Amino acid sequence: MSNKVNRRDFLKIMGWSGVGATLAGCDLPTTVTLEEGKEEVVSYLMPEEFVIPGIGVWYASTCLQCPAGCGVHGRVREGRVLKLEGNPESPINRGRLCQMGQSGVQAHYNPDRITQPMLRKNGGLTPVSWHDALEVLAQRTGPGSGLTGERFAWFTDTISGHQAVLLDAHLKAMGSDNHYVHEVINNSVTRAVNRDMLGEEQPRLRFDKARVVLSFGADFLGTWQSPVHNATEYAKFRSPPRGVLVQVEPNMSLTGANADLWVPVRPGTEGLLALAIAKVLATKHRKPLDKLPAAVQELILGYDVNEVARITGASGDHIIKIAGWLSERSPSLVIAGATAEGHEQGYQIVAAIMLLNIILGNVGETIEPAGEFPFPQLTARTGGTRSLVDFAKALEEKRYDVVFFRGANPVYTAPKALGLAQKLEGVGFKVAFSMFQDETTALADLVLPMRSPAEDWGTHVPAYQGEDRVISVQQPLMEPLYTETRGFGDVMLSLLKMHKVAGYSDYEDYYAYLRDAFAAMPAVLKENHSDDSFWARALQKGVIPVPTTQGSLTVKTAAVEVPGDSGRGEYPYFLVPAARLGMWDGRHANIPWLQEAPDQITKVVWNSWAEMHPSTARKLGVKTGDAVRIASSQGTIEANVYVYKGIHPDVIAVPMGRGHEAYGRYAQGRGVNPLKILDPVTERKTGELALMATRVQVSRASNEKVMVKLGGSESQLGRKIVATVTADVFERTEGGA
Amino acid sequence: MSNIQQLPSRQVSNRGMEGGRRSLCRFLMPLSFPWVLLWVLALGGLVLMPGAVLAEVPNAVPPEGTYEGEHVEQPIEFPHDTHADVNKINCMYCHTYARRSPVAGIPPTSKCMGCHSIIATDKPRIKQLTEYWDKRQPPPWKKVHDVPDFVHFTHEKHLKRFVFDNEGMDVENVAEVCAFCHGEVKKMTVANKVKPLTMGFCRRCHEANDGPFDCWKCHK
Amino acid sequence: MSLKNVFTDWSRYRKGIEEGGFHDYEHMWGMAVDLNKCIGCNACAVACYAENNLAVVGEEKFYKGQAMHWMRIERYWDEPDLGEDRVKEFNHHGANFIPMMCQNCNAATCEPVCPVAATYHTPDGLNAQVYNRCIGSRYCSNNCPYRLRFFNFYSYYESSWPEPLHMQLNPDLTVRDKGVMEKCTFCVQRIRAAKDKARREDRKVRDGEFLPACAQTCPTGAITFGDLLTLHTPGGGVGETKVAQMWRDHQVELGKTRQTKQNPELRGYRVFEGLNTDPCVMYLERVREV
Repeated sequence: MSNKVNRRDFLKIMGWSGVGATLAGCDLPTTVTLEEGKEEVVSYLMPEEFVIPGIGVWYASTCLQCPAGCGVHGRVREGRVLKLEGNPESPINRGRLCQMGQSGVQAHYNPDRITQPMLRKNGGLTPVSWHDALEVLAQRTGPGSGLTGERFAWFTDTISGHQAVLLDAHLKAMGSDNHYVHEVINNSVTRAVNRDMLGEEQPRLRFDKARVVLSFGADFLGTWQSPVHNATEYAKFRSPPRGVLVQVEPNMSLTGANADLWVPVRPGTEGLLALAIAKVLATKHRKPLDKLPAAVQELILGYDVNEVARITGASGDHIIKIAGWLSERSPSLVIAGATAEGHEQGYQIVAAIMLLNIILGNVGETIEPAGEFPFPQLTARTGGTRSLVDFAKALEEKRYDVVFFRGANPVYTAPKALGLAQKLEGVGFKVAFSMFQDETTALADLVLPMRSPAEDWGTHVPAYQGEDRVISVQQPLMEPLYTETRGFGDVMLSLLKMHKVAGYSDYEDYYAYLRDAFAAMPAVLKENHSDDSFWARALQKGVIPVPTTQGSLTVKTAAVEVPGDSGRGEYPYFLVPAARLGMWDGRHANIPWLQEAPDQITKVVWNSWAEMHPSTARKLGVKTGDAVRIASSQGTIEANVYVYKGIHPDVIAVPMGRGHEAYGRYAQGRGVNPLKILDPVTERKTGELALMATRVQVSRASNEKVMVKLGGSESQLGRKIVATVTADVFERTEGGA
Repeated sequence: MSNIQQLPSRQVSNRGMEGGRRSLCRFLMPLSFPWVLLWVLALGGLVLMPGAVLAEVPNAVPPEGTYEGEHVEQPIEFPHDTHADVNKINCMYCHTYARRSPVAGIPPTSKCMGCHSIIATDKPRIKQLTEYWDKRQPPPWKKVHDVPDFVHFTHEKHLKRFVFDNEGMDVENVAEVCAFCHGEVKKMTVANKVKPLTMGFCRRCHEANDGPFDCWKCHK
Repeated sequence: MSLKNVFTDWSRYRKGIEEGGFHDYEHMWGMAVDLNKCIGCNACAVACYAENNLAVVGEEKFYKGQAMHWMRIERYWDEPDLGEDRVKEFNHHGANFIPMMCQNCNAATCEPVCPVAATYHTPDGLNAQVYNRCIGSRYCSNNCPYRLRFFNFYSYYESSWPEPLHMQLNPDLTVRDKGVMEKCTFCVQRIRAAKDKARREDRKVRDGEFLPACAQTCPTGAITFGDLLTLHTPGGGVGETKVAQMWRDHQVELGKTRQTKQNPELRGYRVFEGLNTDPCVMYLERVREV
């Protein structure tokens, strides 16, 4: 059989000559037939009983692509993890997963991972061994280094579980309490309001019970709190009797795209709109305001709906319609998210929005107490953007000699105005615990390559858990790809051993520590299992249910002071840095699947864009695909325009996540980062960065790049592709189901 | 011309379009020059085939076709003959996954050592094996039998058809079924490819033994 | 053998329509997608990339329309005739999302045009693409009214899966080479595995025992997948799969170019049904409070 005619070539000849498709030339070996002896088959040394080559085995673990902490099942075949699915045992995601979770495998197998420790020598990073790296760490931060606690800080993303315990122990050993937790996509302001008004930061929200959900910029299906959990609840909310979703925001989010009524508002006027709705509820629908302080009652009743409509940009009819729904259909749920929070008066705006819940009696109905999590040492250390501001201030004052970074990428996420990159030069020794050479890691003096979430051990307690509370267990789904990477817990134990902290020096590795920690868990979690079987069960299920005490919510209201029209001035447009399920805060920019996944709203791929209303576009003389220059007082970015009717005419929205200067082959030099040109305005009460408060000028720029997006037509052109029926019809046909 | 006549008749036929297909083939076949050529080649192969007589596998027609594979240098020259022929070890004792997985699998090193920590420990090849074991490293075996990427072949189903669900079949004689595609491995040391494993080879056997003919049963 | 398969399919299909059932099918895999629940989040599409070794083609080739998304979320904006305001300043009703994957048409327009019969209908009611048979004429994709067939204009193995990304590739299916057409298979590798397992245990495949990657990951559970054959057992009832029940509830039948519903308000419909493609995917209309 020397005649190696490609089987497909053969078919080509036969196919083009018309007949003969039945005759397959079946005996010709194909060019892809592998010759004997060219490939290796490596057997197992000692197989596990349940491992069968050729058939996948599923292991439970935890998704770390965002802080929501969904449970995953990883399909492992021949020692490789191939696919992640949701873990049905996890009450967070109930077997479901979002696109970021799905692409966890591409973070793990990413071609741009750091494979060995690196130390800065003569300006450049050079590979060193772990032994040397730890030696350097001991010299610079160890007991004999003379480093004091005040001169040391940790800068991390959300961290929880036993990793947080080890991190706390390290901080204690250093004599430091400088722990900055940074998340760009956060709900810190809402949490502060909740704490003050309800007595609990993260009460449990019952989308499934609500008949009306009124959301002021909370993209709960995309980026808010626990998106997959919210989506599962949303499915219940939309089942008969079908709830109504109203979304109020400056530019359309994924949640807005699914709203029955999407209401555009001028950024910063959300609180005003909420109070106008309250007024209609009180006057037209006779909802008592007696639970509110007299000053607030007076404030509400003083508003004129038409005047509010003029300022906010929402129509008076819509305000009346929303109030009508809220009053007719009970219970309802009113929530506030990023676009309502991100202003100088963000706290006040969110507080005004929360008043609606109190007027409507939703507290206790759709807003339930989450109860106390019995192990405070394991709960999530969460944060927002205040950490960035505080950190920049501390660097300005040259307070730190040594900073450890883990997870967060502040050099990318911080606005240029904070000058973080320059200020970091004043820190003598920066250590990055990182998987990727991102912007922050690129500035580090010592880079410690971390194992991927699919290679490491851990436990996680997400900050928001919408149902039964759990500790989510993370176990390695495969052997480490690179021998010179180490798990975060393992390195933390090395650090603790370096400081000779009592109680940690006996553990060989993080696994041993976790085994012991699990054995020490109280009997209520173990449910009469022996230590070994409790451990096995936890790994098998991926979650440990944690019974919580019944909490209660106590309503407390104070005076609110909502901002009105903020004028136009020199910079006529608002810049909204839009958070999207996909790129998130930029951490997923190096995942090719997510770069190629079209944005949910605009369907743009691989690049940034600027969303704009048709009337604004007309004014500027641009159309979809044209480039514009967006200038704030802090800098300029350029992006191609996407024109559509899902944005307020005064708003320009640019998605977060792209515009990386470092990171990797898929992220680098692609698109722009709107966070860079934000004004360094902070929220007055909480100190968070006011992300939505930046004003910009927009002008036409020369078109240098084509905008690439999925699909040709923006509408169905009269074809019945997506058909729509009214809720009345739905109620008639399926309401009884 | 109709070579199909030479194939043994199938035992059961519940396939709807059988007659139609056969007449269609008869009509189209003369049009195809390569087809004729291939059959001439294949029949030539039959004539030249050494007269090895396999033990009887009931309810089965062994596939036809030969191939002269190259000798593959393995890290250890594993003697299949000693194991399967002299010591009469069942194929599935080592290739244990064959009955439950698409792949038959190379036995784990621990299985080799199960016997060879006691048996024949002084032989050079066993010493080689022990060396690997002591290094905690499985020997890097070379793959001999392979099918292209777009083929979904599963050992499990074939064993089910020819061995476990085959009335009158003695599991002891499983080697005769394995020989359908792998040849008489028990006469070899390291395995050599002696069957073509082309689509035609598969197809003829499926025809003779009433296997499925849906493209997506075997192509992926 | 594939031409035979094509002929078999046609006669089987005709017989099926005439006799009101698909009696000699093993299965008839189908879907129901509830657009009331679909939020357009794109999880299904990425799950499909992960499961089916879909190549990432990059920005340039995406622009040329060479992207490989077997499953995509299409997004349409309202035409100005829904609701109160005819010429609207804003999209007050959000977006129109629809997940589009191969509709596995029973009277598939792609099948008869293939010069080498590389695409055909399986006895499972699936529209199959045999990669090693495909010669890349692209007739099928030109003939698909849904634009759901994707052609490998290049060999993507090196560019799409640089080491070690290639370790993620699913060995249950091929990495398609240059010059080959590909499309959604309803995750046939999962169907195959489920049928193998069922056979091993001497039973039939149970409803919900396995799901395609898209249906499994869908955060809102908008996609229901299963065997439609029970739709054709008289009376349905016991043993009827969830998806068949949904088809029955919404009075959507196979083999029709226009549904004759007793209750015309029911939400079920098939996209471009009037083209006589007879798709196996039923959509349930999106709902909006107007």
